[in-house]
Amino acid sequence: MGKPKIASVWLEACAGCHMSFLDIDERIVDLLGKVELTATPITDIKTFPEVEVGVIEGALGNEEELHLAKELRERCKILIAWGDCAVFGGINCMRNFLPAEQVLKEGYVDTVSTVNPDGVLPRQDLPALLPQAIPVDRAVRVDVYVPGCPPDADTIYYVFSEILEGRIPTVPTDIMRYD
Amino acid sequence: MSDITLVIDGVECRAAKGDTILQVARRNDIYIPTLCWMEGLTPIGSCRMCVVEVEGNPKLLTACTTPAENGMKIHTKTEKLKQYRLQILELLFAGRNHFCMFCSQTGDCELQRLAIEHGMDKVRYPFLYEPFHNDATDPNIQLDHNRCILCLRCIRVCAEKVGAHTLDLEKRGWGTNITADLGKMLGESDTCVSCGACAQVCPTGTITLRDFVYRGRRNDCDDQVESICPLCSLGCRIKAYVRTGSVARVEGLSANSPDGGQLCHKGRWGLPKSTERDRLTAPMIRTGSSFREASWEEALNLIASKLGSASKAGRAGALLSELSTDEELSVVSSFFRDTMKMDKVDGFFGNMLRGFVKGFQPFADQGIRPFTGAHNILESDAIVVIGANPQEEAPVAASYIRVSTIIERAKLINLSAGKNPFDGITDADIRAALPGEMEKVLVSLREAVEGGPEPKEPAMAESARVLREAKKPVFVIGSSLAEHPSLVTEALNLAVASKAFFDDGLGVVPMLRGGNCLGALNTVIGESDWLSESELDFLYVLSTGMVDEDKRSLEAMTRARFVVVHTPFMVHPLVNMADVLLPAPAWFERSGHYCTLEGERRRMNMIVPPKGNLKGLSVIMDELAGKLGLELQPASAAPCENVYEAKSPSTSARTVSLKEVR
Repeated sequence: MGKPKIASVWLEACAGCHMSFLDIDERIVDLLGKVELTATPITDIKTFPEVEVGVIEGALGNEEELHLAKELRERCKILIAWGDCAVFGGINCMRNFLPAEQVLKEGYVDTVSTVNPDGVLPRQDLPALLPQAIPVDRAVRVDVYVPGCPPDADTIYYVFSEILEGRIPTVPTDIMRYD
Repeated sequence: MSDITLVIDGVECRAAKGDTILQVARRNDIYIPTLCWMEGLTPIGSCRMCVVEVEGNPKLLTACTTPAENGMKIHTKTEKLKQYRLQILELLFAGRNHFCMFCSQTGDCELQRLAIEHGMDKVRYPFLYEPFHNDATDPNIQLDHNRCILCLRCIRVCAEKVGAHTLDLEKRGWGTNITADLGKMLGESDTCVSCGACAQVCPTGTITLRDFVYRGRRNDCDDQVESICPLCSLGCRIKAYVRTGSVARVEGLSANSPDGGQLCHKGRWGLPKSTERDRLTAPMIRTGSSFREASWEEALNLIASKLGSASKAGRAGALLSELSTDEELSVVSSFFRDTMKMDKVDGFFGNMLRGFVKGFQPFADQGIRPFTGAHNILESDAIVVIGANPQEEAPVAASYIRVSTIIERAKLINLSAGKNPFDGITDADIRAALPGEMEKVLVSLREAVEGGPEPKEPAMAESARVLREAKKPVFVIGSSLAEHPSLVTEALNLAVASKAFFDDGLGVVPMLRGGNCLGALNTVIGESDWLSESELDFLYVLSTGMVDEDKRSLEAMTRARFVVVHTPFMVHPLVNMADVLLPAPAWFERSGHYCTLEGERRRMNMIVPPKGNLKGLSVIMDELAGKLGLELQPASAAPCENVYEAKSPSTSARTVSLKEVR
């Protein structure tokens, strides 16, 4: 058997969790000796192969994101929710306090800096918004939750190390954070 | 006191009857998580974080409200409790907008801390996303209901410590909200005193203070220093948070002290706001309409030359702020009074203090301490406010009055020339112009209390009845009374007649605006008001820049030919009056002592080191003396703790004839 494969995806989020992952610095060399990064925003490969570990950064806010989350769930054995957006919904939830239609109108028509005299809203050209942005576990089963905005590099490294040791980790309280 | 014994987590604990399980646990260093509970406030057991298991009881009990009983076997850390607490936290997070990433209080938040402590790595319940409004109507206090967990700490501190009772709950169930004045926005509230206590106790990001939010959270701060507020003679203890060398926020200190850790609006905003003002960092000498920077040597030489000739001609004076520390006042007094032999030394509040001193004198002559600590208002069963506006003069004393009246059911009587400052909660309100009518009212009340003729006017009759029945009345006298010393004496006479006797002195609380007024009495306050009529060649002004100067002082500065202003801030109009500006350390850069009304000599601590080209006051005075060929003499003033020392118990006080003061 070859090295365990990892696929990760950047959904409704800022990419900060992937940045934080890169902050594990030289340890990435050691990690790449043990695992294979397949489809990730870092490798820029878009289609998920069958992998041991799937990682989702971000909440699910539209049909495409929901689809990707389901697809990755199907193709991985262990699914990690990375960061506050994937775990709790995070900043994307700000829109949940308003109806989706109003959010679109606000973003595409009403904002002062927007020039859109005909009030055209995106329809076919962008994936349809879900009624609310939701944490990943509202759509698919999540095995490991790593909250944090972003989680510290050490926390991310700890989670991978534990999985490589064959354990399903929970983030210890002394390194857990929500901000 | 240890009359019962119980076992908590296997530890045998002794306790007094009436202690709650939480109190016993904390005393024995057994940790029980809490959220709505707060030291000094009535426990309500609403958040359920402190639930514990008691053997033999099928229900979980809240440790904060359940009295400890003899023989109880309590468990605080079982798996079952951990799951319940986690569930409570998840429900709280699901209820409203508790997304930490865009909250200003993240890192300072008690809800967040508890959730992390309980390993909450997900929320298993559906988020409600129910929008609540964000009340930004108050200029200082922001109230975002979306982050509220309804712990009711703000409501309790507002009612129980500040006595304002501005905040309360509205609606029910999920829609329950904090509200001001039974349904107003906070900014429209008539009862809010803007003290910010609600924000100090808020465990989440619901109630925040605009000024402090972006100056740095508590946990971003590098240092915390305990000190005192210099703005009035109550000398409230403060905790200042320091971030990158400046004061980021100021909070009241201890929930266990009588003030309950509150600060008034002056302390809460005035102290930190002052750190943003323009500082004077080097000596400056006037050149026409502007100033040029000078060396200390040059500035002091100029001052010495002007002071030397002016003092020989008896035309030199010194005007000092009562917000200065005892040490500073003592050094200045030793220079001007004892070294230069000048008698023209006074404080900004000189006239007010002389008025009080004159009014107090007949009682001081009896060996009585003629006043008591303001916190004794809380022990009192009848409060008489005479010509005072405590909410302006010493706002925490106003809190004591409200709490005592509303919660402890003390009677409240107001005698004033103008509006009743406690409108709505007074039992009797009497209008009397100062001085004549007020004197008549005070005399007639005293006579009625002593068994004389009953006043006909209903409010007067009610007041006399209250004072006759009161066991521990307190008399709060305003600075307006000090303009008429006989009224001060008559107010004290009424206190004696009503048997307002406290352990530390007579039950009178004078409203003294400066933090170290009592310390100034024996060091700088002169015998007479020379300042009002002064035509001086030299005037030295020591200002803290924290309170506005009065007309009398400013006019005296305008008349003086040469004015030295020693101040931390470029304050106008003070700076406009100066011929020489000397930089002084600001309140957060000084250390020293303040003689407070509370009877303690409290220490002000340096919060951050002084900035700029500063010199210590004693060094300046020593150099000035040297330049004038003199040697700085030790201060002859007695230490301030001896001022109005109680030589006889207050119970031995007797009323005096007003002739003694006239």
